[in-house]
Amino acid sequence: MSNLHLDAIGKTYGGKTIFNGVTIHVPIGLTLLTGPSGAGKSTLLRILATAEKPSRGKLSWKNTPLPAARRQLRRTLGYAPQAVDLPDDLTAREFAMHMAALKGLDLTAADAQFGAITSAINLHGDINQRIATFSGGMRRRLVFAQALLGEPELIILDEPTAELDDQTSGLLEALIVERAAKASVVMTTHASDQLTAHAAASWRVEGGQVTPT
Amino acid sequence: MSAIAVARSAMTVSLLRYSRSWGLWLLLLVAPIGARFMIARDDGSGMQVAIGGHLPVMTSATLGMCLGIVVSTLLLPVAFLYLRSNVTRRNPWQVDEVSGGSRAAIMLGRFAADALVLLAALTALTAAGWLLGWQIVTGPFQPGWIALPLWLVAAPALVGLAALRQLLDARPLGRRGIGELMFFILWMASMVIPIIVSERPSSFAINMVDYSGFVRPLVAGSPSGDNDFSIGGGQIKPGRVPLDSERGISAPGYISSRFAWVAVAIALTVLASMVYAPHSAPRRRRIAGLLARMLARGPPPPAIASAPAATIARSPLATLLLAEFRLIGAGKLFRYLAIIAALLGLLPDFRHIGSPAGLLLLVFGLSAHAGRSEARGLRQLIATTYTPPAMRRGALIAASVAWALVMSLPAALANWSLDPIVLAGSTGAAAAVIAMLLAMISGSGFAARMVLLILWYVYLSS
Repeated sequence: MSNLHLDAIGKTYGGKTIFNGVTIHVPIGLTLLTGPSGAGKSTLLRILATAEKPSRGKLSWKNTPLPAARRQLRRTLGYAPQAVDLPDDLTAREFAMHMAALKGLDLTAADAQFGAITSAINLHGDINQRIATFSGGMRRRLVFAQALLGEPELIILDEPTAELDDQTSGLLEALIVERAAKASVVMTTHASDQLTAHAAASWRVEGGQVTPT
Repeated sequence: MSAIAVARSAMTVSLLRYSRSWGLWLLLLVAPIGARFMIARDDGSGMQVAIGGHLPVMTSATLGMCLGIVVSTLLLPVAFLYLRSNVTRRNPWQVDEVSGGSRAAIMLGRFAADALVLLAALTALTAAGWLLGWQIVTGPFQPGWIALPLWLVAAPALVGLAALRQLLDARPLGRRGIGELMFFILWMASMVIPIIVSERPSSFAINMVDYSGFVRPLVAGSPSGDNDFSIGGGQIKPGRVPLDSERGISAPGYISSRFAWVAVAIALTVLASMVYAPHSAPRRRRIAGLLARMLARGPPPPAIASAPAATIARSPLATLLLAEFRLIGAGKLFRYLAIIAALLGLLPDFRHIGSPAGLLLLVFGLSAHAGRSEARGLRQLIATTYTPPAMRRGALIAASVAWALVMSLPAALANWSLDPIVLAGSTGAAAAVIAMLLAMISGSGFAARMVLLILWYVYLSS
């Protein structure tokens, strides 16, 4: 079963083809994306997250093609891009509530959920601190935590465990596996035994093609 | 690597970045087009340089001087805004602060690039001045006498501005919003102080007080020799008065002071390199005593591991409004200051005390939030959320108006009048729209804060 479907998707930047004719069904469960640097993994994730439009082909969400289904998809999307310019002058909690409001979530419930998520990834003690004081790893976990707010049916994670130690990576991976039981989770990551064991699908992006592995 | 090579490299890289940004080409296009609006017409429209309420007879030298004065006074904040918000606002400080290159050389290189870009705009303005002069000057058309006063007045001010940018960027405080406030105060001072000393005889020392270089040419060149002049707008009396601009710029010590300001700018850049503080994540503030307790955010509420997933809000729009309201007033300090601003509204003359106080606070809160909402690096994430951009921007404007109304409530209740509410609501809405538009264009809150501070001053003093 799949909610998100890509049909003959292609992406070209300034005459350079990143990938072409990609047709995939994103399954419920965990999908791992691998491939060499610069192959287009982040570009593919941005397209899946509706942050970027494909040059060719079409995306469908629950059998309705985009852009008609874009708001419907965004209603239930959790996205953690690789590089985010976080607002340093806000606390982590203020930022998360900003994102919760933009996702249309109930703020009281989102605050409680944010507490639970950050507690699970060892960030809770710092959520009332300004983001300016956060390390790279803490920022990464904050971006991850906001992606899980609500009950997203599609979760897109770009290298969520980069910059994290093995123990903290393990905490994030446990949450990812838990969410993947009910949602479609697509993520790029380095090889991880824990994730590989739970993956419903694994794709390799290389040479302009996306192939199952 | 020698210091000269480092400086040259820093300058070249900055110039390369400028040349690849649309902002530079827009500046070079706008400068000459704007020239026509920098010279007042007989009906008083355009930016006026007036002597005793009369426009001056527009000779070639006076045309150049008027253009120069408008640049070095009224347009200086625009130039500062451009420098601070252009492509070179971000530099790889993580690596260049630990490199072996001389800090002074790096900063001098960047200063030179900034100065060259501003002088390029001045060159475009000079060309426009020639075209304008060919059509409108009284008496002979003398291109040299258009260019000379224009450059004498404006070029040192622009070079000084490039140095000031380096100085403000050198310290952590100057890099933040407080840097814009510092510039605003310095800019105001640069216009007020030389007027105060303008009646003293012209000398190098007295002219050195006049960073913008506008007072001496107007005083020494005017028929009465006093400081009865105005720059900007206002009622114009019929008829033109002669202004001897050539005598004005030849006043004792004036030309040497303008060259000295260029030397001061270079010295300021070197000073900036000496007081430079590396970037670092701010330490968690330890403010002693009562203030610490007042501003402390405290620990977060205990986490409940079994907290259910947040559901969709009953009214996403109301939730968004509430969130925007909270974020504009983020931090306890803002709320304490909002209470003070609201209480100031109880004093008489709400228009000149309570209203500007509330508006000033709002300028900082809403420009910060508009900036973070439109930050390019965050926009990609925000764009994928359920809320369309127009709704988000509308909510920010509505939340700003709400803050303005809340702060005007004591004044409205004390006077049992709707006037404070109407005034606060309209100024708050106007500020929010300007902040939103400028943040959308620039991708940061800086331009919004700068422009709103200037407009706030106009509002306060009108």
